[in-house]
Amino acid sequence: MTNIIQAASRRDILKISALTAVGGILGASRAGAAPKQMTMMHESSFIPAYDAYFKNTIAPAYEKATGIKIVYETVSVGSIQTRDTTVAETGTGPEMAQMAFNWPFLFDQKLVDVTDIAKIIGDKAGGWHANAAEAVVVNGKWKAIPFGNIGQLMNYRMDWFDEVGVKSFPETWAELLEAGIKLKKNGHPFGFELGHGFGDNHGWLYPLLWSFGAREVDKDGKTVAIDSAETAKAIDFCREFFQKTMFEDVLGWTDVSNNKAFLSEQISCTNNAESILYVAKRDFPDIGKVTGQAQNPKGPTGERFHMLNPWTHGIFTHTPDVQAAKDFMVWLMDPKQVAGWYDVADSYYGPFLHAYDDASFWHKEPRNLPYRDSMANSHLPGWPAPISRPQSESVAKYVVVDMFAKACAGKSTKEVIADASAQLKQIFKNA
Amino acid sequence: MVGPPILFLCALVGYPFLYGIWLSLEDRPVAHAGTFVGLANFVADAQDPVFWRVTINTFVYTFFATILKMVGGLGLALTMNQNFRGKNIIRALMLLPFIVPTVLSTIAWMWMLDPGFSVINWLLKYSGLADPGPSWLGNPTLAMISLIIVNVWRGLPFYGITLLAGLQTISPDLYEAATIDGASTWHRFIYVTLPLLKPVIFIVTMFSIIFTFADFQLVYVLTRGGPANATHLFATYAFDIAMGGGQLGMGASVALAMLPPLALIIIAMSIYMKPNKS
Repeated sequence: MTNIIQAASRRDILKISALTAVGGILGASRAGAAPKQMTMMHESSFIPAYDAYFKNTIAPAYEKATGIKIVYETVSVGSIQTRDTTVAETGTGPEMAQMAFNWPFLFDQKLVDVTDIAKIIGDKAGGWHANAAEAVVVNGKWKAIPFGNIGQLMNYRMDWFDEVGVKSFPETWAELLEAGIKLKKNGHPFGFELGHGFGDNHGWLYPLLWSFGAREVDKDGKTVAIDSAETAKAIDFCREFFQKTMFEDVLGWTDVSNNKAFLSEQISCTNNAESILYVAKRDFPDIGKVTGQAQNPKGPTGERFHMLNPWTHGIFTHTPDVQAAKDFMVWLMDPKQVAGWYDVADSYYGPFLHAYDDASFWHKEPRNLPYRDSMANSHLPGWPAPISRPQSESVAKYVVVDMFAKACAGKSTKEVIADASAQLKQIFKNA
Repeated sequence: MVGPPILFLCALVGYPFLYGIWLSLEDRPVAHAGTFVGLANFVADAQDPVFWRVTINTFVYTFFATILKMVGGLGLALTMNQNFRGKNIIRALMLLPFIVPTVLSTIAWMWMLDPGFSVINWLLKYSGLADPGPSWLGNPTLAMISLIIVNVWRGLPFYGITLLAGLQTISPDLYEAATIDGASTWHRFIYVTLPLLKPVIFIVTMFSIIFTFADFQLVYVLTRGGPANATHLFATYAFDIAMGGGQLGMGASVALAMLPPLALIIIAMSIYMKPNKS
């Protein structure tokens, strides 16, 4: 990453530093024909205070400092990718937008190179986490500014685990299986999504695969590596885990299903973002008191992994005044502004900047700390291969998820690996 | 006089349609320029096992949903054509599934098919028929059956009301004459109602096939094509590839796979609707 950051010329950095110093950061009015208004598009947060903070605190503060009005346009949950696609395709609409997963790669030609400001923002806040670049650096250029990671970890009922003699969350998948068998017998099955949602399925199945030493594609991003003994072991484990700890319905679950099942006390453990604990504390305080959160278990390799689920901010190339948008981004990501935004979200969006490694919001709820610690071993689907178009296609076609799901539904390990391998070879043939 | 409608058709139907065809012939990543690849996307589809699964799913879904809607809709129309107290209110209520936004009603179905909250499973449990109840959306076969049931529930009013309108155009004189000739209720239905209703049944079925074949919302809300592609249809699969995977060309080719069967239906419709000059 250091190399990437050094790629930005010293002149560029001096230029942007000077501009930000003159402009937003110090609150002075921007000279010349500054835009009167710019728009930042975001997916609605399930934390209302998060959106309200931008509208009521951040945007007015920037307008006061620079005279530029920032419109915060929210789109409904699940539709941001469609909106980003429309904006990128038509070249009209908001100047800045929230992205997720590997979208900066998908939209790279329509996004401004922000390597220069990434360096400034990073320097000001203790530097970037090592994996911040994983989803935003395309051909050596930062195409978006990482904002926060929505970690996918284990959510479990501490009281029910305790009842079966499990006092702390299991360290390995094997131990979790053992606990799950006892809990299911006690009427408290597990519920891990194996259907076609957009996050909670990949959220545990890729980490499971990796922790068994298996990979979808090699580091080169071309060689399909799914057909391996490690994959077979991961599938055999998943089938047993499903049969002995869960119920059939998880095969058809989408992303809302496990939240609903956990909060209605149907399941004792799932893999999810912090939203379960957040909603439990708000709406079901009794459940909130007994909900625990833990990092994903380790596999036979002794390693544990998590899904990287980054939210990032990109500037579209159709933006009339790119410098104004960059200035705003630098101002926004300054700890003076962004710390408050992170804070109202109660650590739901885990910052990619080291300055927040021990921020007070992590300590408001110590049960959220595993989300912070998971950052070190979080990766995008397809890891260790670099982000690529074939990888996006594989995720969109649920190749890995369905490989596990079909095994759980009764197909043989050999068959499901052969199916997935054939699909991946087709997808990666021109990689 | 024909200018404006032709212009309207070209702008709103012709252009998107031709653009879709063009996209399907390109390697066209989202937000990137496309490269002409001829039929390569269609060849890739043909080699994709999920594509064939989607094809079978779409035909199964359309066939059963259409048959059930046709039979159910005819029954509904015949019932509504009778004279009974509160007839107008019942007719209005009958339209409710059609009026409620699909996404909203499908979310209600999602709850009804949930293993924990399902009213259906609750009834099965308390009547002693099954405990626990079936996994409506987790089992591949039941998931498809559930989708067909929800589609039938939503589409029945369209059939019912349209066929009812058709029934009301049949002159009562014909029934009187048939009764005088000694025709039973069944015979009156077979020899008077059905032949006179046939054109309406044909048209409404054709429209229904087109809508069902291209269904998206219902599947997207209930299963998103899961479990393991058991309920993926052309529209949902095309959307996932184009939007989720950022492969607009390949997504367009999947969507265009709907074209040949739908075109055949439209041709059949046109031939059937052609005025009989003799």
